[in-house]
Amino acid sequence: MERTANIDLAAWRPRKLAGSHPLTARFFVGLLICCACLSALLASWLPLQFSVITVFLFAGPHNWFELRYFLMRLPVRFGKSRNFFLTAFVGIGFLTLAYVALPVVYAFNLWPDYAWPMILASWNTLLLLWLGLLVWLRGKQKPKQDWSWAIPVTLGLCSINWLAPEFFSLAIVYLHPLVALWFLDRHLRRTRPAWLRAYRRCLWLLPLLVAGMFWQLALTPALPDDNGLFWRITQHAGAQLLPNISSHMLVAVHVFLEMLHYGVWLIALPLIAPLAKAADGRHTLRERGRIWDVKTLPLARHPRGFPKLIVTALAFGVFLVAILWIGFSVNYATTRDIYFTVAIAHVLAEAPFLLKML
Amino acid sequence: MKQFFSLCILCLLLATAKPAQADIARPKPSPDQPRVVLRTSLKIVPDSKSYEARLQISQSSLQELRAALTNTQANESMAQRIVHSSTRTMLAGVFMFLSLSFAGVWLARSVQARGQKTITALLMGAAVIGGAVIIARANAGPPGVWTWRRLPQNLSKGTTTNGAIDIEIVPDPSDGSGMKLIIPIRPE
Repeated sequence: MERTANIDLAAWRPRKLAGSHPLTARFFVGLLICCACLSALLASWLPLQFSVITVFLFAGPHNWFELRYFLMRLPVRFGKSRNFFLTAFVGIGFLTLAYVALPVVYAFNLWPDYAWPMILASWNTLLLLWLGLLVWLRGKQKPKQDWSWAIPVTLGLCSINWLAPEFFSLAIVYLHPLVALWFLDRHLRRTRPAWLRAYRRCLWLLPLLVAGMFWQLALTPALPDDNGLFWRITQHAGAQLLPNISSHMLVAVHVFLEMLHYGVWLIALPLIAPLAKAADGRHTLRERGRIWDVKTLPLARHPRGFPKLIVTALAFGVFLVAILWIGFSVNYATTRDIYFTVAIAHVLAEAPFLLKML
Repeated sequence: MKQFFSLCILCLLLATAKPAQADIARPKPSPDQPRVVLRTSLKIVPDSKSYEARLQISQSSLQELRAALTNTQANESMAQRIVHSSTRTMLAGVFMFLSLSFAGVWLARSVQARGQKTITALLMGAAVIGGAVIIARANAGPPGVWTWRRLPQNLSKGTTTNGAIDIEIVPDPSDGSGMKLIIPIRPE
């Protein structure tokens, strides 16, 4: 069943499609470079303003697209992956609830201030152990490969986390946007292998752009964080933890990475996904390009699938995006806080789906 | 009858043990131990032109001292934070121990004999460098008694003596004295 559900993504004829669509590798690479350079430029120029705008516009929609993508990747029956997916969903649920509970507990002042780094380190440890378990379970499905290296790596990361839990959490803030680039890499490998080399070469631009931003912004004065919103944005980027680095640079780099993250989920992956789907010959490119058509999802299309549940989930997702926009319009700062707390769920959800693509 | 007698003896023993334990005098409260809040360096400079003794504290040392006194961790360096949290350091050590143990098992099981030697050599090298770093950080220089041993001669010669110093917070002395500088010097 699981294989049946994945047929769409596995069956792929790149030669046929390469000639059937005007989108070429050169156009794709050009688009990537332009988007990356433009994002770096805008983020460096007005970091706070673009942080506000990008989160307002793209945070909700990119989550909806991620949800749709994950539903597309979810098999109709778990089969041999039952333990993997059960572990994944239990972990996502538990870790999200624990993470959301932290600010509530903090508000009630149940623990003294000095205990918070330990609480943070405990949550990070649970996250790492969950990830390590997922990697190990995924490795068991690949008998030809030895993935048991995940155990010492996980434990080593746990050790580093206990030395500096705040920095570990900050690392997650900066590394999470890069996961989208990894998704794109795996997706290209499956759907457009001819583009993969060019894409990986483009990735070299990323450290160059970050280094350029560092060079240009390292000596800039700190951003004004006198109002609550700007203070939140600079804190999110790690201004308090890294007082010797210009907050302008920190926020700019973070906004740049976030813009890339949104770009991958909202532009790059939807741009490629319809192409990939058209290979089966059952739907035309135009039909496959409709993101609203739930029949493009194996989970809804399959005779033993759940079309109503999928429609409900996607419709509820649209409703949440609308609610988020209303919330941003009414009280941006509070909604942003709530969003970034609850959004840990999508950060966690990316891990199992990425592992399934490896 | 024998069992009943034994039980009575046991009850009597328990009954007398509790008051006996309760009658033990309370342990004397231990005197307040000086609390080391900052480790820094001290330079004793004899100045033949000065008329007053002066204590010069650098701006950064003062800030560190103030932060240490107020127990704020915001401006602490990473090393200071680690030093101040023994629980976290212990847990980090436990996880590091487990990580290295599992890494060793994984190496032994997975890598070919030739590769094993290379990776073992790399790991050993990393461990030696790590150990050297830890020793260097944990014991940055000889003990204070060594650095301060030439203080009397230097004072008589009018030259500077430089060494490490721990700043301790102690209860107010009964004689009303202010600061006290304790220099570890062994009589010759």
